[in-house]
Amino acid sequence: MKIIEGLKYSKDHEWVKVEGNLATIGITDYAQHSLGDIVFVELPEIGDAIGKEETFGVVESVKAASDIYLPISGTVVKINEALVDEPELLNTDAFENWMIGVEMDDPTELDALMDATAYETICHE
Amino acid sequence: MGNLKRTLFYDNHVKAGATLVDFGGWEMPIQYPAGIVDEHIHTRIKSGIFDVSHMGRFIVSGKEATAFLQHVLTNNVLALDLLQAQYTMIQNSNGGALDDAYLYRFYEDEFLLVVNAANAEKDWEHLNTEIKYFDAKIVDRSAEIAMISLQGPDSKTILKKLTGSENLTEPLKNALAILDYQGETLLIARTGYTGEPLGFELFTKASQAAEIWEKLLELGAMAIGLGARDTLRLEAGLPLYGHELGLDNDGNEIPIFSCPLAKFAVSFAEVKGDYIGRAALAKQYIGFKKIMERDLSDLSELARIVRPIALTGRGIARAGCQVFKAGKAVGVITSATMVPYLKAEGYGLDSKITDEKAMRAIGLALIDGDVELNDLVDVEIRGKMVAAVIAPYHMKSDAPPFARPIIYGVEIERQFDSAPDYQTKALNLLERSFDNTILRQHQTINLIPSEQSHSAAVRLLSVMDPSFRYAEHKKTKSFYDYDVFYYQGTAFIDEIEYLLMEEMKKYLHCAEVETRVISGQMANVAVFSALMDYKNRVNRKVDAKRLGYVMNNHIIRGGHLSAQPMGALHDYIAIDPQTEKTAIVNFPVEKDNPFKIDVEETKKVIAQYQPELIIFGKSMVLHKEPVREIRNFVDAQKLNSIIMYDMAHVLGLVGDYFQDPFAEGAELVTGSTHKTFFGTQRGIIAGNYDKDDYKYGLWETIETRAFPGSVSNHHLGTMLGLLMASYEMNYFKDEYQKNVIHNAKYFAKCLADAGLDVAGDPAISYTETHQVVVRVGYGIGPQVANRLEANNIIINYQATPEEEGFTASGAIRIGVAEMTRFGFGNKEFAETAGLMADVILRNKDVKEDVTKLRGNFTNLKYCFDDEAITAQLEKLKSTL
Repeated sequence: MKIIEGLKYSKDHEWVKVEGNLATIGITDYAQHSLGDIVFVELPEIGDAIGKEETFGVVESVKAASDIYLPISGTVVKINEALVDEPELLNTDAFENWMIGVEMDDPTELDALMDATAYETICHE
Repeated sequence: MGNLKRTLFYDNHVKAGATLVDFGGWEMPIQYPAGIVDEHIHTRIKSGIFDVSHMGRFIVSGKEATAFLQHVLTNNVLALDLLQAQYTMIQNSNGGALDDAYLYRFYEDEFLLVVNAANAEKDWEHLNTEIKYFDAKIVDRSAEIAMISLQGPDSKTILKKLTGSENLTEPLKNALAILDYQGETLLIARTGYTGEPLGFELFTKASQAAEIWEKLLELGAMAIGLGARDTLRLEAGLPLYGHELGLDNDGNEIPIFSCPLAKFAVSFAEVKGDYIGRAALAKQYIGFKKIMERDLSDLSELARIVRPIALTGRGIARAGCQVFKAGKAVGVITSATMVPYLKAEGYGLDSKITDEKAMRAIGLALIDGDVELNDLVDVEIRGKMVAAVIAPYHMKSDAPPFARPIIYGVEIERQFDSAPDYQTKALNLLERSFDNTILRQHQTINLIPSEQSHSAAVRLLSVMDPSFRYAEHKKTKSFYDYDVFYYQGTAFIDEIEYLLMEEMKKYLHCAEVETRVISGQMANVAVFSALMDYKNRVNRKVDAKRLGYVMNNHIIRGGHLSAQPMGALHDYIAIDPQTEKTAIVNFPVEKDNPFKIDVEETKKVIAQYQPELIIFGKSMVLHKEPVREIRNFVDAQKLNSIIMYDMAHVLGLVGDYFQDPFAEGAELVTGSTHKTFFGTQRGIIAGNYDKDDYKYGLWETIETRAFPGSVSNHHLGTMLGLLMASYEMNYFKDEYQKNVIHNAKYFAKCLADAGLDVAGDPAISYTETHQVVVRVGYGIGPQVANRLEANNIIINYQATPEEEGFTASGAIRIGVAEMTRFGFGNKEFAETAGLMADVILRNKDVKEDVTKLRGNFTNLKYCFDDEAITAQLEKLKSTL
């Protein structure tokens, strides 16, 4: 299982990469692996304002549909449309294939997220 | 997962890296590292194995085992022959399903019932409560017998390798066999839950289970988890208890008849008596019929049925999603997801399954009875409406060895170049006909056993006057059976028909012939119709009773459609009320030679069923039919069975070198006149009843079922041609028949010497007819046939008695009659055998050699070709 240093992680298995006020978000390798073959991805629209821990998208495997939660509140500024056509990219590399980017409302919300070490611990629980 | 039960394969799953989950109280693999998508695909194109040992296995035996099962199951246990299985429901008194199950009959006096894991305890309790009223016992053998499902196109090959047994089961769904694996009994069944046309379930000794699992993996099967098991069954449209059966989303019971398989799983046979839930099911059935017949005024007996649904918009439906039609809620999704498939290229038999993976969102939905096939609907997914359509099915399995995905909306378009104006179209047609004739008459080695070229005289006569005229006629009692014609201008054809009948009587050595039927199939239909009419002659005030039992050659043993319930017998064969199946029994075949009828076993079947009609003859025919033996037996038993020989393929071989049907005891002979006989394409019925025979009335009925029963216009041109062909046959038959049989035997030997796998008994040079059957490899018959055609050798691919159907053919069928007529002898057949081996075994291009060989043999033999004949033919031609 791959975990990348320097990213922030949520307990719902999302990762956050911070560059200034832009947060890029995706699902972790652990998440893609648990979901299995990913066959469908639903993303929000650019400009959507989404609150902390609200659903921003859906990732579906053959087995089930999983809501994906935004760990921090913000406004959607970019979406990775490649995932809509090729959802299996998430299985190929979940860190490379980000889902959305948001302009953060309150960067202090990041403080509640985990670093790589803490995330690895909960994955092994 | 501390309290979960584990199957005997638990260690195999762990070793394989499976993801294990709680499934009905069992710790089961949901998927292996390959993942659901690859597991699904691998099963469809190669093969997969499934641990299904968590299911319950109960053995029912005892004096009243059948009566007990008739009471607690919906299907008709009397329809279950030895070594067969049937799908069934375990029902409650409301007509709801406690479970769905499979009943297997490996042994005469005990039944194996396999039930779902999650319901096993509930089923066990229910069955034990009910069995108290019967002299029968039920034993739980789930722990002693392990169960593996092996599914997919490679499954047969893998199972043959595992068991070292060439013969598995009959190549039919639900067929069973008892095999041996390292000294222990291994039970196998052609059943499964994937919709695969080839698939087996194995019941193994517990001690051998884990070892067999690993062997199957080594032999190329992939381990498949419950995830792909679900996508495979969904694609096949098969129900899952808890989704399409049992309780619906709101906790209401789903009526059994809402599930499309109920049609096969529920029996209302009288012999079943008043079983649990019968009244409720009968009511549901009324509702089901209303939906099927689009009588939608009142759907109170059955409101909804399960139908396949395909999403056309973006999204994946899931169980519980609501379905809307024009804004109105009409149903609910019972199962749905996205399933993978491999794209195919090309059309028909030439279509190739590619490596390109694709996904589609499909499901099953419990839908209001008034929603129709192809209706556009919406599925509500997370508050959004996604477009969908009611589909007929998601997959078809009728072209084995592959199950093929059916993508909604795909239509096959065929286009041929055609000239823009009619003058050019007409000219092109003439040119193309010329080219085709040159190709087939001068450049192609034609080896299709059911075909024949006609002599110039036969061909020309067939298009002369009166080929476009009418000459209906009927024997009339008032005129001592003199034929009365309904049209003028019929004197010529009257004489021709009379002469034709006389020639055919002479050829067949019989009292009567009817020559007006225009094909062999029609000849059989007319006979069956007449037999049924004759059977009901005493009382015509009630519905006529159909024929039954009838004995024939099974289609997989070479029997032809013209004597099958799905063919010419369709409207004339009875349904046995006990078994609810067509009243057909088949000739048993010899154990070591499935091409040959087993006479002693046949006698036993005849004694048991006392068939009204025994039909000899088949289209894959290597042996004589035992007409005399069976006639002697029928007479000794004082049975009334009518013995008929459908000689379609061998009509041109009647006589000393093959069989003399009437001398051997047949009463009726039918046939087509253009296979081994010299043409034209027509049919014939012959009978050996004297006018003072009490059965002469049957013969007269046959005549009336020919005209006006089957034909009005009996195609006068080909009748004229047939008279010439019968002159040719009666004059040349001795030499022709001797050569045909010699050539077939010699050709078979040459093919075997050339390294090909010739079927049949080498002790008789493989064949006693004009046919030779060559095995080329499972499922590749069509491909080999195509390759031979590309080299100007025309044969047809053929399923052998071990194969599932024509698309899975592993053999080719060859006939020597036509090329014998063109003068082929030992040398030419030897050369042809070599060329065929070059194509089949070495994939060589031999088209030039074939064309050259054939080019030297373009004059048809065994016909009249002296100067006077040639001159007269020219004169006839000049009239065109």
